[in-house]
Amino acid sequence: MVKSQIDALGIIFPNSYDNQLPALCSERLMASVPFASRYRMIDFILSSMVNCGIENISVIVRKNYRSLMRHLGSARSWDLSRKNGGLNLVPPFAEKTVKVYNGRVEALASIIDFLKVQKEKYVFISDSNIVTNFNYNAMLDAHKASGADVTIAYREEEIPEAFMNLQATVSTDLYYTLRFDENGRVEHIHTNPKSEGVQNLSMNVYLIERELLIEKIQHAYVHGYMYFERDILAPQLDSLKVHGFKYEGYTARITDIVSYYKENMRLLNDENLDALFSPAPVYTRVRDDNPTRYIGSPQVKNCMVADGCVIEGSIENCILFRGVKVGKGAVVKNSIIMQDTTIMDNAVIDYVITDKEVTVSEGKELRGNESFPIFVPAYQSI
Amino acid sequence: MAKEMIAMILAGGQGSRLYALTQKLAKPAVPFGGKYRIIDFPLSNCVNSGIDTVGILTQYQPLVLNEYIGNGEPWDLDRLYGGVHVLPPYQQATGSDWYKGTANAIYQNLSFINRYDPEYVIILSGDQICKQDYSEFLNFHKEKGAEFSVAVMEVPWDEASRFGLMVADENDKITEFQEKPKQPKSNLASMGIYIFNKDVLEKYLTEDEANPESSNDFGNDIIPNLLRDNRKMYAYRFNGYWKDVGTISSLWEANMEIMDPEHSGINLFDDDWKIYSRNSGLTGHKIGADAVVENSMITDGCRIDGSVKHSILFAGVVVEEGAKVEDAVIMGHTVIKAGAKVEHCIIGENASIGSYALVGAMPTETEKGVATVGPGVHIGSRALVGPSAMVDTDVKDGEAKW
Repeated sequence: MVKSQIDALGIIFPNSYDNQLPALCSERLMASVPFASRYRMIDFILSSMVNCGIENISVIVRKNYRSLMRHLGSARSWDLSRKNGGLNLVPPFAEKTVKVYNGRVEALASIIDFLKVQKEKYVFISDSNIVTNFNYNAMLDAHKASGADVTIAYREEEIPEAFMNLQATVSTDLYYTLRFDENGRVEHIHTNPKSEGVQNLSMNVYLIERELLIEKIQHAYVHGYMYFERDILAPQLDSLKVHGFKYEGYTARITDIVSYYKENMRLLNDENLDALFSPAPVYTRVRDDNPTRYIGSPQVKNCMVADGCVIEGSIENCILFRGVKVGKGAVVKNSIIMQDTTIMDNAVIDYVITDKEVTVSEGKELRGNESFPIFVPAYQSI
Repeated sequence: MAKEMIAMILAGGQGSRLYALTQKLAKPAVPFGGKYRIIDFPLSNCVNSGIDTVGILTQYQPLVLNEYIGNGEPWDLDRLYGGVHVLPPYQQATGSDWYKGTANAIYQNLSFINRYDPEYVIILSGDQICKQDYSEFLNFHKEKGAEFSVAVMEVPWDEASRFGLMVADENDKITEFQEKPKQPKSNLASMGIYIFNKDVLEKYLTEDEANPESSNDFGNDIIPNLLRDNRKMYAYRFNGYWKDVGTISSLWEANMEIMDPEHSGINLFDDDWKIYSRNSGLTGHKIGADAVVENSMITDGCRIDGSVKHSILFAGVVVEEGAKVEDAVIMGHTVIKAGAKVEHCIIGENASIGSYALVGAMPTETEKGVATVGPGVHIGSRALVGPSAMVDTDVKDGEAKW
């Protein structure tokens, strides 16, 4: 076979860190959180995987997955409507062995029969709370070069503030830092450390051979272990050769509503926008909106605007999703306005995040501030 | 299972009056309205009207069009039975022929039509901008018990002699056909959109093919023959927006009109009648801190740091700082460099306009031309492209083209 594909399959956990974004995830999950004017979080991982030749991707959902199913549809938008492989959405109760999981071990155990009959040699495992245009090929090269059993992608960064106050109730909401020995082998995995300063913070992207993964999961499952990191990797660092893959590409890690706000706004800088989108295309579900129309001479400064909008009022430092309407005399500043929201004439909005299909009535005012943007839930009318 | 009606779109047009834009693509593939190509309109009309089987007859420079249509998925026309099919001329056991005329193009594809055993066939033109519900047209055809119907538009009497005209009685029955007459007896212009009963279509196409004198054209040959035989022919009056974008000025005008749906009558902001197109896959567009945007349409991937007034920008267009764009149609991925001034013009895809270059000019009493820069053309810095110029090769720095 022509080697245009990487010999790996992908497994995505779409619910990880849902609890960090309770407002946005009340009716959806992390993977379907809207981001950057026309995308959903999962678009970045799916696109990166597809662009790297990974064509067999399983998404193991836990709850709140209706919006994700609608978004993914037949997965054709990501070129994942394939005869062999393609997208495999695994909901709870899909089979008698699949139930609502509490940890990665249970989740992976539920698809173990599927994993056994796949042909790919390697498995990439990823969460969906980090926006990045990831290069899985580079990670596989590093994995082969180091001869590791498991490779973990990480970044050198400070532990986000939101993590420092974390009250994790589900194992997939935990976070990990890595300590390496002089040869770059992981000698310690810390769970939820509250350490100051720059750390080797895991991106929760794992690379492991499929056969080894099956073996480890089966063993852990029969022993009642739940956590992949704490129960499989951490106790076996002597026998398992675990290496880190330092990732230096552009990332936006969503850990709470403030980081969500900041990471959207960061893309108003062209350099950041290029850093995220130029390595390879990012695909998403197409909505067939018309181009955005600017009527009259609205003040438009420093904004990212998707298709299907009609702008008559002034907008500054904003991210507008598809189908947003801004009426005459309205002033929208420093805000993230999600799809099909209507800001009526003379309304004033500052530091606000509106979920989809919100209506802000004529002349109404809504002001938050940078450290505490106001969130308006979907379908609300003000 | 038989289909009630299938559509055949004539998309072989070279669009010679648009030559700078149609060097490498057929007229139906010309970009239009920010994110569409002209063919998106008849295709979307078909889908929105419930027609799920469409043949597209191509001939001239079909590569771009073929690739664009692909499997038809953007228009929801990837179907197990039916869907969209691109039909170029092909070699047959008895020899091969280019399509000799519009009628011959359909004749050569009778076998395609017969595979679906339709009762009716609608013949569409691939180079018109129009939102039309073909199912209403079909209802008219059935109510009248017609064998052939043609969609017509009322045009001003003083312009009538530029069109093919249908003379109809009070029941809309066609009594006479005049092709660009000096003395018009009617102001009902044919839109080149026909519904035929399939058996009638097949009979007349076959007869026409057997006649070596024929020009194999619907207007010149088929319609006169139907009239001669007193067939049941009716004129269906359409009063929505319709534009044949055959010239640079009409193409420019139609683009400007979609920015003003309140007056022009062509509204693309219509959730019940979406126009579908292949998606660019780019991010939302970016408007910089010092940009000016007025009365314009802007789509995905654009980066605006200059001034854009009353213009349509296609996907991925870049307008650098200090550049001025007004009354312009700028097609995909074209870059307008810093300080350039681009006015009252059409610029093709992937072109670049150098810094401080001047392209086109706002219309004056005597000069109303729409400057045109072909796709992929580079206009050097401080170069000049006159208001009536049509440029399809690079212009060097500082050079002028009138």
